[in-house]
Amino acid sequence: MKDLQPNSNSETITADLLRPLSKPGLGWYTTVTISGLLVLLAAVALGYQFTKGLGVWGINRPVFWALDITNFVFWIGISHAGTLISAILRVTGAEWRRPVTRCAEAITVFALMIGALFPIIHLGRPQFFYWLVPYPNERGLWPNFRSPLAWDFFAINTYLLGSIIYLYLPLIPDLALLRDKSSGLFRRVYGALCLGWRGTQLQWDRLERAVRAMAVIIIPVAVSVHTIVSWDFAMTIRPMWHSTMFGPYFVAGAIFSGIAALILAMAVIRRVFHLENYLRPVHFNNLGLLLLTMSLIWFYFTFAEYLTSWYGNEPEEMAVFRSKVSGVYAPLFWGTVVCCFAIPAPLLAIKRFRTIKGTMVASVLVVIGMWFERFLIIVPTLTQPKFTFNWGSYTPTWVELSLTAGTFGYFVLLYSIFSRLFPIIAIWEYKEGLPLGEHGEQTVVGVPDAELESV
Amino acid sequence: MAALQQLERDGVPKSAITVMSSEPLHLECEGPKTRIPLFGIIGGLLGAAFAILLTVWTSKRVGLVTGGMPIVSPWAFGIIVFELAALGAILMTLGRMVVEARLARRGRGSDYGKMVAEGKIVIEIDPGATKG
Repeated sequence: MKDLQPNSNSETITADLLRPLSKPGLGWYTTVTISGLLVLLAAVALGYQFTKGLGVWGINRPVFWALDITNFVFWIGISHAGTLISAILRVTGAEWRRPVTRCAEAITVFALMIGALFPIIHLGRPQFFYWLVPYPNERGLWPNFRSPLAWDFFAINTYLLGSIIYLYLPLIPDLALLRDKSSGLFRRVYGALCLGWRGTQLQWDRLERAVRAMAVIIIPVAVSVHTIVSWDFAMTIRPMWHSTMFGPYFVAGAIFSGIAALILAMAVIRRVFHLENYLRPVHFNNLGLLLLTMSLIWFYFTFAEYLTSWYGNEPEEMAVFRSKVSGVYAPLFWGTVVCCFAIPAPLLAIKRFRTIKGTMVASVLVVIGMWFERFLIIVPTLTQPKFTFNWGSYTPTWVELSLTAGTFGYFVLLYSIFSRLFPIIAIWEYKEGLPLGEHGEQTVVGVPDAELESV
Repeated sequence: MAALQQLERDGVPKSAITVMSSEPLHLECEGPKTRIPLFGIIGGLLGAAFAILLTVWTSKRVGLVTGGMPIVSPWAFGIIVFELAALGAILMTLGRMVVEARLARRGRGSDYGKMVAEGKIVIEIDPGATKG
């Protein structure tokens, strides 16, 4: 496909990147309609669950965690795309990141918001979730800070707040741009959000320093979040959960699924908003190479994990192992291997196939595969605990399936609304990366309340 | 930039000149040295201190019956200390940046917002600073 050259005129760039805010096109309305319907379906299912109780789910002794925690781990994993990709690429000074960073940062915020809903939804009586907050009370309750579930609370909230700030900081100059190009209520709202940004060199200097500092801080936070989520499982002594490798395994899987989600988001945005000049084949090629790397790393960790269990030959571990590799969960397991490695790796390794379409196909497979991977980590171990008298099975109900579908709809809906209110490509960052001489700005000298003089 | 050099040749002091643009120009920045990294570290230390108070002090106050086992677990509590230290660093970095960049202040906004939004580079001269 022809690699279109970036548009070099400053005003044209601004107009192109602001066009989705005023003229989103039929694709945007279609996307919002479909995702809105999925959210409605999930809302109906959730309302039904609140009135009837958790018994409408398929969970029962011994499977106490299923699609709820699968979705929780999956969406927290997806959130790693944004901040990690954006932060790592900023820290390493990769210039090609410029049109990609805000797409990625927005994914992080919305995926985290969705993932963080599930610990509340799966409480059964979510209206009492405030009982978990540490404040003086007469219930005799206090958080158990030794529990990985308590660590989750602090980790996810830190990451969520940090990601919102990391998304907001580079957005400030574009908010000022929107303020100056809007009128009425929008002008007031954008004006409040941009904190009076003027674009002085002092402000630019401080903003860039703060963004660089944030990028350095957010990387260990992102790594710690999914490590702590993995410890919800690894800190137990259940077969095929109690593994020292779970921390890095989960982080690698999170980055893997996150990059795939980012590629999909970029491909859709490119198509719906006609941003072919800005999200170019080179971006998909580079992200495709990252996806290939993560596919290989994921396969390495999975192979090491399963080989260790098989070689140890402990009866409890082998029961779960067999159920995944050759038993009732075998189709899902081998399907995951195909979706996460067997097809994407060769597809992405061959340059001829590493096109926008090729990376999209690989990404769709990876997202599907990684969702099933989360399911396979959680459910088989719970169906076959250490004592065989306690073995059980699990079948999801329409309520859980609707909630799962609804999370995808909710994510797409939030992302669509965001891209309608704010430029999905950072305008100032994109322009900053243009070669010298292509910016085309005019300089104006002025004294307040006096006549302007063009230079 | 040629315009800035011309102004300097005309005797306009640097302190009277403010350059505004729609993208960073990476010009030499007048003003005090930034303290954003220092405040980030201070925020981290404050966050860690708060986390230690929250976990250690409150756990001891609750009076859990543990049969002689330690109530305070440094490894486990250390994870929460790390997270809240990072949160403190993040919030302090944001706060310090807002202060140093002189954002969120009441008063008259820029006269030149629209021109900056159009992609122009605006050089504003403070007449008060040029007198004398």
